[in-house]
Amino acid sequence: MTTQVTAGVHVWGGDSALVHPLSTVESAVPAACLVPDLPGDRDLEALSDELLDAEIGDVLGNVLAEVQRLLPGLTGSGRLVFLLPAEAALGRPHATSAGAVAGGILSMARTLAIELARDGIAVNTVLYADAAETAVAHQVAALLAAEGAAVTGQEIYVTAGSGLGRLRP
Amino acid sequence: MKTALVTGGAGGIGRGVCARLARDADVVVVADLDPYAAAAEIGPKARPMVLDVSSAASRTAVAAACVEEFGGVDILVNCAGVLKDARVGTLDPALFRRLLAINLLGPLALTRLLLGPMTRRGGGAVVNIASRAWLGTFGSTAYSTAKGGLVGATRSLALEVARQGITVNCVAPGFVATRMTDGLPDRIRERTLDAIPVGRAGRPDDVADAVAYLAAASYVTGQVLVVCGGRSIGDPYRQPA
Repeated sequence: MTTQVTAGVHVWGGDSALVHPLSTVESAVPAACLVPDLPGDRDLEALSDELLDAEIGDVLGNVLAEVQRLLPGLTGSGRLVFLLPAEAALGRPHATSAGAVAGGILSMARTLAIELARDGIAVNTVLYADAAETAVAHQVAALLAAEGAAVTGQEIYVTAGSGLGRLRP
Repeated sequence: MKTALVTGGAGGIGRGVCARLARDADVVVVADLDPYAAAAEIGPKARPMVLDVSSAASRTAVAAACVEEFGGVDILVNCAGVLKDARVGTLDPALFRRLLAINLLGPLALTRLLLGPMTRRGGGAVVNIASRAWLGTFGSTAYSTAKGGLVGATRSLALEVARQGITVNCVAPGFVATRMTDGLPDRIRERTLDAIPVGRAGRPDDVADAVAYLAAASYVTGQVLVVCGGRSIGDPYRQPA
């Protein structure tokens, strides 16, 4: 008989509606959920150079810093889950900054999944809609289960079907 | 006067894009760090302008010159880019920010400056040169993040400016033989070519044709046209037979 040791999941960023259900998830392996804070809506013409740098560059830079900080603790059999609002990733008028951050994270996760597979780290992205927080936590729990090791580089939409018919990025 | 502006216009892909657009446009602004030789090669429709896409002052000067000389541009091709690979564990945050500045933030900032004049001309086309790396490639955290960001921004911006008669699309090239790829080790080059289903490296003209199509396609917006010889649907990591 084997004993599975579970532990809480490190959650970085996100609002309380998402963080609370995620904080109840347990994992058999070292795991982290990263929830970048996406910028608010603004026309592109209203985005000064300073705002572009702050709303896109700083956010993506902070995500990279957190990934690099977490890597040593995940190596061997870890899980990394990015969480993004599906609407920002699919595209929304007046949300170029949010779209840039979401698109950047999607591609970062794809590359990390390819790159970190040899280190035993699975990397996935969950895209969520408002009011789906509990379902998101269940989806994350499935990714963190022992059987979830074979799932990497995936993008899972937990949106109750909203966004169906839209081409995914 | 139909005017196109191509950033990175003196590079391998950019030069091909300028030459292709010069067939249909009256003026092609070749914008690059050193655009003069490329502009001379492209011919009398080429107008060289010095541009460092990562410099706010340089972007502002080029946009202002385009407005003053031509009233703005009809076609903006954001082609300037820099590729530098590093595994995520050893990726220097300063390099990450540098690649974001050149490949993502600079293009968005230049687009912002030219959107108003483009609207006043009745519309136009923005074509962002992304990369197949947007789908993920080993060792390219910085580059793929920047190019993925460009794809994400393209989708939202396309929705924002569609009613102004402006389309915004991406071309995502795969392996294209240029100076940027000349420095690859032979082993990597051979493995890369072996993974391309059509059996050859891309040429700048392959990308230029896709850009020209999107620049003229007023019913196509928010899309990514992948120009990669089929590599994006094959297995880029398969072992040679």
